Amino acid sequence: MSAQVVVETRNLTKVYRDFWGRQKVRALKALDLEVRQGEIFGLLGPNGSGKSTTIKLLLGLLFPTSGQALVFGRDATDVTKNERIGYLPEESYLYRFLNAEETLDFYGRLFNMPRAVRRQRTADLIEMVGLNWAKRRQLKEYSKGMTRRIGLAQALINDPELLLLDEPTSGLDPIGTRDMKRLILRLRDQGKTILMCSHLLADVQDVCDRIAILHQGELKELGRVDSLLKVRDVTEIRTTVLSEACLKEIREVVQRHKGEVQMVGNPTTTLEELFNKIIEESEAHPGRRVRGVEVGGGGRNAH
Amino acid sequence: MPIESYDFQTFAEWFPGAFAYWAAVMGCLLVGGLITGFFVSVLRSGPMRAVEVVGRAVRDLVLDMTLLSPRRILALAWVAVKEAVRRRVLVVFALFLVLMLFAGWFINTASDHPERVCIGRLVFPAMWVLTFLLGLFLSSMSLPLDIKNRTLHTVVTKPVRQSEIVLGRILGFAAVGTLLLAAMGVIGWLFTIRTLSHTHTLTAGQLKEETTPGSQTSLLKGKTSAASGHQHAVTIDASGEAVVEMKQGHTHDLYIEGEGDDATYTLEGPKDQLVARVPIYGKLHFLDRAGNEAEKGVNTGDEWTYRSFIEGAGRMAAIWEFKGITQRAFPESEFPESIPLDLTIEVFRTHKGDVSKAVAGGLWLRNPDTGLKVEAQVFGAKKFSRDVRPIPRSIEVFKKDAKGKPVKDANGRPVRETYDLFRDLVTPDGRVEVWLQCLEGGQYFGMARADAYFHARDASFVLNFVKGLLGIWMQMALVIGFGVMLSTFLSAPVALLATVFVIVGGIFRDFIVDLAAGKTYGGGPWESAIRLFTQQNQIVELEPGLRTSAALTFDTIAKPALWMISRVLPAFGNFEFDDYVSYGYAVDGDLLLRCAFQLIGFLLPLTVAGYFFLKNREVAR
Repeated sequence: MSAQVVVETRNLTKVYRDFWGRQKVRALKALDLEVRQGEIFGLLGPNGSGKSTTIKLLLGLLFPTSGQALVFGRDATDVTKNERIGYLPEESYLYRFLNAEETLDFYGRLFNMPRAVRRQRTADLIEMVGLNWAKRRQLKEYSKGMTRRIGLAQALINDPELLLLDEPTSGLDPIGTRDMKRLILRLRDQGKTILMCSHLLADVQDVCDRIAILHQGELKELGRVDSLLKVRDVTEIRTTVLSEACLKEIREVVQRHKGEVQMVGNPTTTLEELFNKIIEESEAHPGRRVRGVEVGGGGRNAH
Repeated sequence: MPIESYDFQTFAEWFPGAFAYWAAVMGCLLVGGLITGFFVSVLRSGPMRAVEVVGRAVRDLVLDMTLLSPRRILALAWVAVKEAVRRRVLVVFALFLVLMLFAGWFINTASDHPERVCIGRLVFPAMWVLTFLLGLFLSSMSLPLDIKNRTLHTVVTKPVRQSEIVLGRILGFAAVGTLLLAAMGVIGWLFTIRTLSHTHTLTAGQLKEETTPGSQTSLLKGKTSAASGHQHAVTIDASGEAVVEMKQGHTHDLYIEGEGDDATYTLEGPKDQLVARVPIYGKLHFLDRAGNEAEKGVNTGDEWTYRSFIEGAGRMAAIWEFKGITQRAFPESEFPESIPLDLTIEVFRTHKGDVSKAVAGGLWLRNPDTGLKVEAQVFGAKKFSRDVRPIPRSIEVFKKDAKGKPVKDANGRPVRETYDLFRDLVTPDGRVEVWLQCLEGGQYFGMARADAYFHARDASFVLNFVKGLLGIWMQMALVIGFGVMLSTFLSAPVALLATVFVIVGGIFRDFIVDLAAGKTYGGGPWESAIRLFTQQNQIVELEPGLRTSAALTFDTIAKPALWMISRVLPAFGNFEFDDYVSYGYAVDGDLLLRCAFQLIGFLLPLTVAGYFFLKNREVAR
């Protein structure tokens, strides 16, 4: 754990007040967090748990009632920190009268990027998010998934060191979700730090290294995903398909060692994985009906 | 056209005082803001933290106002332009176009000065209203809608300073307004030319030969055909030189081909109608009834503030001190006989007599160095007529002795002597005094500083028209500045209303100043309200009592507030040049420069205030 701390909150508290200064909601209560360089950190929690508030405080869109929010060691309200940040809001809040090229060019100009760099970066990002075919269309004509993609492209326009993603897979179809998760992992592999918040637990589980679970503005759990999800009183052995005789033998061995066999059978895959496989197969062989897709032994429920 | 004393100041005369005043107001606002911020921080977080917060605010202000990126500002301005276009601002232009297409039906071209009606009552006011509305709606609605739609979230999470957002908006909307105003200007110009353009016909049959009594020569006299509700009298002498009467503020060039009944007469388009006179104004002071110098004349009750009056047949005089009356300004090649003095006089009669008869007045020229004073001419003045009084380069007068009696020669004939205008009456550095006296007892002449000027040359009318547009543009920029600033902390409808308040307050700023100074009739706002609801006139004293005492107390409290409000409201009237354009006076370069600096003087603190409010606003709430 020697990696540099990129995001840090110290006793971060946010209270929403009304016009007369009366307390309406305590959205965040004394949050202490550290996000280190090169990790994917997930903020989890139900609606109203303080996830988005935390992100907005880190971006300087809200001011803390007390405590501190630091990004790259600077106060979150310091505008210069934004040069190293990319932000994908929950909804892609972009100017709908611009097209994809204009949008990326505009945000590139906000980073003071020279024209040639902007052009190259715009072309690369449009290619990356797969919107080359619609780059001249105004964003108001885009579907929600397309808007999320261009939103992600704008977040990456400055090749940021830290990405703040607010519900990154919201509004995306399963393929878009898969692509988004792959992209997040690829960005992590490039050394970028990613802080995301989501209430889609499967997505978080798939990509995050560490998570923090918030509820009613309070930090309830914090740690590595694999460690937090480990079921310590159950042993799982995964093998290739075995004969009935072999299975009987294994049961006897378990009983002899005072153990209890809870379940024996073939594992199931996730619907997401099945869907993605079918689409991949369909794209590989267009026009042919996909039958009996075999999903590999990576199923989550193998016992 | 009334010209206030403010308009006579040169930029060099105006700037030091204006800058000191501006700096004082800005200093007060800045110090007031810091003190308020400090106390708010003390209440929120205690004194130690308050010092830190205020210190950081000052540091951020300096950094954010100096480390600006032109690329970012232009990008934000570009988006503002795109947004404006998306909001169908071109409708404004279409509205103007429709107005110009049909306005021609309602313009009275037969009026005394159709150019004043066309430019001053239609084209410029229409452009003014449309650009004001454009600036008002664009500037006050845009930022709140961006915050509501959360598009601003994505922008402020980039390395954009709040000052750049405010400046970008102002520049973007100003660019949209500039384009629209330029387009409207072109249409307005074409409309003006087309509306005023006319010609007359003249045939040999319309001319009659007249012989001047006691002269061998004969003249051809007649009238042109009627067009635009008027005709011109034409006089052609034996040499073929024609004089076309000045009517409705213009004349026409007349070309004659052939002779006698075969002659054809061609009249060109209007001449001297769309002009931009460059006046040389003097400083005005008076001599009172005792002949002593005075700042003002007498008040006849006819006009109270702008003009002062001098009594006839006495020692009272109006004296204009002119500078810059040099041979270079009035070269002999262009002004061979005389130099033109334009004079407008208000005549106030205490006994009517024949009202159509002019009241006699006299003009004298005086050399301020030598004290030589020479009568230039005696004339008849009619109420409010602008007359050109040519001042001869060579003035011949009867010689008078020390007692003022005419000197006669050996034959008993009065001796004449001749004075050269530039040698004897104007100082080498171009100073001369023009004295005006009313010569009829019981009658009064009224005059203001701008009522007499030497007319040296005409500037380009097109350029003057553009300067008039610049005046509208500057007012629009002010509206945009206020709109954007107010929208940084108010919601769209409230920002819109607040900007309307600034516009209305700015238009009536002089009245608010008078109200704060207690110079208005009818008292302050509360007293006036009582008079309004109880239908009492402005002069009668209110009935003593609790209600009156309360109203007077509230008015006393309101006065300092009104004074402060009047200090920060822009005087939109200072930027209005449409009267200059329509009355045919060139907009002075110094006046433009003063207005430009005033505009900067407002936009700078508005940007800082907008930055400050946006910086301290939680955009995501």
